[in-house]
Amino acid sequence: MSTMTYRKKKQPMTLGRMMTYLILYAILFLVVILVLYPLLFTASSAFSLGDSLAGLTVYPFQQPLGLRQFERLFNDTNYVQWFLNTLKIAAINSVLSVAVTTITAYIFSRFKFSAKKPLMMSLLILQMFPSFAGMIALYILVWRMGLLDNHLGLILIYAAGNIPYNTWLIKGYLDTIPRSLDEAARVDGAGYFTSFWRIILPIARPMVTFLAVTSFTGPWMDFILPRLLIKSDPKKTLAVGLFELINGRENNNFTMFAAGAVLVAVPFVIIFAINQKYLTQVLASGAVKE
Amino acid sequence: MAKNKHRLPPLKDPGPVWASVGFMGLGQLLYQKQYIKGAFFALMELLVLINTHHFIRGITGLITLGDPRPDLPLRERPHSIFMMVEGIIFLILLVMFIVLYITNVRDAAKTQREYERTGQYPGTRTFVSSLADTSFAVVGLSPAMLMILFFVVLPLVFSAMLAFTNYSSPNNIPPANTVDWVGLQNFETLAGRSLWAGAFGRTALWTVTWATLATVTCYVGGLLIALALINKNIRFPSFFRVVYILPYAVPAMLSLMVWRNLLNGQFGPINRMLIEWGWISQPIHWLSDFTLARMSMVTVNLWLGFPYFMMLITGVMTSVPKDLYEASEIDGANKRVQFFKITLPLVLYQTIPLFIMSFSFNLNNFGAVYFLTGGGPTDLATTQSGAGATDILMSWMYKLTLDLRQYNMAAVLSILVFLVIAPFAIYNFSRTKAFKEGEL
Repeated sequence: MSTMTYRKKKQPMTLGRMMTYLILYAILFLVVILVLYPLLFTASSAFSLGDSLAGLTVYPFQQPLGLRQFERLFNDTNYVQWFLNTLKIAAINSVLSVAVTTITAYIFSRFKFSAKKPLMMSLLILQMFPSFAGMIALYILVWRMGLLDNHLGLILIYAAGNIPYNTWLIKGYLDTIPRSLDEAARVDGAGYFTSFWRIILPIARPMVTFLAVTSFTGPWMDFILPRLLIKSDPKKTLAVGLFELINGRENNNFTMFAAGAVLVAVPFVIIFAINQKYLTQVLASGAVKE
Repeated sequence: MAKNKHRLPPLKDPGPVWASVGFMGLGQLLYQKQYIKGAFFALMELLVLINTHHFIRGITGLITLGDPRPDLPLRERPHSIFMMVEGIIFLILLVMFIVLYITNVRDAAKTQREYERTGQYPGTRTFVSSLADTSFAVVGLSPAMLMILFFVVLPLVFSAMLAFTNYSSPNNIPPANTVDWVGLQNFETLAGRSLWAGAFGRTALWTVTWATLATVTCYVGGLLIALALINKNIRFPSFFRVVYILPYAVPAMLSLMVWRNLLNGQFGPINRMLIEWGWISQPIHWLSDFTLARMSMVTVNLWLGFPYFMMLITGVMTSVPKDLYEASEIDGANKRVQFFKITLPLVLYQTIPLFIMSFSFNLNNFGAVYFLTGGGPTDLATTQSGAGATDILMSWMYKLTLDLRQYNMAAVLSILVFLVIAPFAIYNFSRTKAFKEGEL
């Protein structure tokens, strides 16, 4: 860390300072244990042979290990189906969000029409409403449309809910792309759609990728909406499936739940590790005001 | 447009405009030779006129919500909620029609002014070329607008309206019974002296207390760890950082459910460990004791949330310009002074927005409640209102909708929660790049 370079001289170690650092190390290692214990306990439970929470040893990895819990998960529950459902919803949501949002943002960025200002303002106001505000109504609406217990209803709500904020986001980005670029293409005879598809989208790739990734990861651990709209077990998403696997049956299903949780958490941690540098930048850019 | 600074002189011949006021598109069609546009406007008005009875029925339904007909079989009784949804749809269509109508009159006036200025009506050719642009915009925007209308606007309007009805179990659930408008009665119930009011007061207070405690503990925890790790004399800072970031990388929902089991009063390993060490003789009811459950919630949230602030604060500290320290050293400042006068103020100043955002997030942190304690433990007020000791407004609302079917009360809560959240949302968005740089 190039950080504290202002500490030029190294201080001589006195007994008092050594005590301070000893205590500091003790605290840091205590925090390490506190952070790791739940994670290691879950990992060890996932590989345990016993099915009950009460039967687990309190220290991780002190019991015979095996893949029994994963077998139970794959054979006795719809875990694989839940995983595929979630994957499907996430993928379609990503594609739909990108398609609808980019073209909307393009029109708001490049066209002049009298309704533009009021529409943009409405989007701004709508993105302030938390998604749960319309929860009850969404339930009734989806029910009335016959889309209850159907992934389509879920996808449409996810995609629609993200339009207001993302339109602003993408439009802001498109505004930075010089108009001369797509106007030149249109002089050469390209239609609006061609110049959007061939010129604007490729240039806006970083932002479009960001949008695609966030709309893909969004549904994975979302709980409220799928719990509300999906009733039958084979149609559940991962979050709901895992929750109901264990809710009220803690003692009998914890180890199986742990196996399922490990399978989800590991990819998340890997993706996080890959993106960590970028993520830290994003977080820091939120903090540092220009 | 009386508010315009430059008031335009009145039209010499307002006839066509009046024709368009009388019937949409008439002025354009008969006088102004704007055939395509005029035909479109006229067609729209015709469509609405033909469907007048649907509009009337829909909107009357919204007003009356149906009369109770216990004499009819269930499926033939008026379904207030469907009537309400349909009523709102027709209301939205009506608003759209009114906007279109105003556009039509304005358009006629604009064309007429153009005619009086230039002596001729805009030709069909210019219109067709502008039509190509318009149709791209209309076709491109319509999917987004329709989706927003149906899945965002309609639900919000509907939810807001439910707050003024008695849509709740057991007496007002269609199709068996109808739902009625009750004015401000639900708000009065919450403000009054009933069990509801007690539950609301307690939950609202806990929501704010929880958000404050959760945000402050995570912030302070993250700050202390960041400070410790930036110290030159601590070896292997990256090892500690990697470990400490883990709770942030694992999905919070899973961690919370794991913690729920770790803290299980009967079989939880934490109680068993403490008993094994001889620290306690009886299992501690981490999640089923009123105060203890709240404390457990804040503690577990600290486990989940400190890495975020640790990352942020480390980032801010590493970006403090070095010359600040060098300059202060020349002025004779020691490290203590540097820390309290330079590092800390800068870190605090730069992280305030994120602190506020985190606070508003915690006000609605459904997961921290629902996955850990499920809102419990319960008490006397819970049986009627459903609000447990650790429930925040958000999780209470969820229970009211899903478990207790008290839709009216849930709607009231969602309005109240929104009123609290809105300032944060405005603040949050006003800081974003999109808002600062984007022109409307």
